[in-house]
Amino acid sequence: MLAKRIQPMASQAKRLYVELMFQVMGRALQAVSEVDSEVQGEARTLPERFLFEMMVMPDGSKLIVEHIGDGRFHYHGNSAPRPVDVSIKFKHLTHAFLVLSFQEKTSVAFANDRMLVDGDVSYAVRMTRVLNRLEAFILPKIIAERAVKEYPANLHLPEKLISAAQIYLKVATHFVQTVRA
Amino acid sequence: MSNSYYEFFCPVKVIAGKAALEHIPYELSGLAAKRPMIVTDKGVRAAGLLDPVIAACEESGLEIISIYDDVPPDSSTTVVRDIAAVYRKEKCDSIIAIGGGSAIDTGKAVNILVSEGGDDIAKYTGAGVLKRPLKPFLVVPTTAGTGSEVTSIAVITDEKKGVKLPFTSSYLLPNAAVIDPRMTLTLPPHITAATAMDAMTHAIESFTCMAKNPLSDAYAAAAIKKVSRSLLQVMDNPKDSDGRLELAQASTMAGIAFSNSMVGLVHSLGHATGAICHLPHGLCMSLYLPYVLEYNLETIREPLSELLLYLEGPEVYAATPSSRRAEASISALRKLRDALYKRCKLPRTLKETGKVTEDQLDQIAEMALDDGSIMFNPKEVNLKDARAVLQRAWA
Ligand SMILES: [Fe+2]
Repeated sequence: MLAKRIQPMASQAKRLYVELMFQVMGRALQAVSEVDSEVQGEARTLPERFLFEMMVMPDGSKLIVEHIGDGRFHYHGNSAPRPVDVSIKFKHLTHAFLVLSFQEKTSVAFANDRMLVDGDVSYAVRMTRVLNRLEAFILPKIIAERAVKEYPANLHLPEKLISAAQIYLKVATHFVQTVRA
Repeated sequence: MSNSYYEFFCPVKVIAGKAALEHIPYELSGLAAKRPMIVTDKGVRAAGLLDPVIAACEESGLEIISIYDDVPPDSSTTVVRDIAAVYRKEKCDSIIAIGGGSAIDTGKAVNILVSEGGDDIAKYTGAGVLKRPLKPFLVVPTTAGTGSEVTSIAVITDEKKGVKLPFTSSYLLPNAAVIDPRMTLTLPPHITAATAMDAMTHAIESFTCMAKNPLSDAYAAAAIKKVSRSLLQVMDNPKDSDGRLELAQASTMAGIAFSNSMVGLVHSLGHATGAICHLPHGLCMSLYLPYVLEYNLETIREPLSELLLYLEGPEVYAATPSSRRAEASISALRKLRDALYKRCKLPRTLKETGKVTEDQLDQIAEMALDDGSIMFNPKEVNLKDARAVLQRAWA
């Protein structure tokens, strides 16, 4: 309670940022799955109607996507139509912020116990690879290298899609600067 | 690779050394347990390993209420349910698991059922489901490798659905791990070799993968030193009980290390190979270890160089220029594998196993990519990479 009064702005800004990034990623995930064969290949082995969630514990922002078949994802916003199959849970807002503002790689965050997997780990591994691919797409190379273990050598996406995603991203990075300042 | 944040947890009391088994009655009484049940397998019983445990308890006036000795090599949900039923019928109040990975995992799962109630172990699968301590539980490992006595995981096969159910909770950890050299004295050579190489792999992956941290590093380094020094000695002289104790301790230490810092690609490939080709886990570890280290080499040069000290000792370490130490560590492991091949034919390549065909490699690669441990491998792995490592391990 005390902490709330001392730092209301900073944590509010982090919360907004995480929420925004979840939206950016959710939309981008759907868009990328419509054009990128590698993402489709990873996604295809997921069951149809498979629901994936990323969330901030205990009850914060959420990102929910569904595999609607044939390697395509559908973004559900922050509410799931039924119980999710796999959930990646950040233990704290700050940890989500570290990862989503690309200060900590997703794989490092796993290694650092920043988040938990609830559900079948093999699906979580697959989704992590999809997210890595996604980050490489929507981020400028220099930031993407910070976010993923290895920057893929074969990125071919319609320019339009990349720029669309990067517009969201600009808003997002602007946020980071405000928050960190 | 510096780790800016880490967690380390190991609340298991370790009771190790000569006459360690004789501490069991005291430990149980400290936990207010009077009616223990032993969970074990036929092999352990046939090797006469139950006798010293039972004798140790009887001499202290502690009666073993029930013995279940039919745990299969792959622990299953039915077996867990059956054992829980016996436990309840006999009004037991504690569990002593004696054996390798399977008996220990079964013991952990039985403990969930008898503590939380019900017959359906599948209900408790996943992480963080258990919220309170379970019944008193001791583990006596009879192989020196898996480290299951200090890990908070159990894997049980649901035969009906054909899937492996993972259970994770710190409450699965035993109250104490009892490490007595008598329990591993009669292990046949190829099992001694394979399980020791499993421990070695736990320590090396823990030391070189993404979640390494200063505390797990200390355990890993010490375990590597013990295996390097004692394994061949024990292979040449199986009744060397000091050497046996060293290997058993190394296994527990490596278990503590990897349960806090995870493992990587050697395990991803090993789990897949085990599932598809039915090869023992330790054998797969020994087989893949050098090839994976070569794949990861440039990302792990620093920690791998450091390991030369523990693999080969201070003289070799000092005589090797620092730019060659990482490669020298891999050579040391290859040398050890050659020595084991000479002594017990522990395979060094997939071809040498005689149980893998080249057309299975694609399937193994694909399955390995879905293994949880691949997340902690320091270098990103895609299907082509995994396939390339398998090709190198082929012959
Ligand atoms: Fe292992």
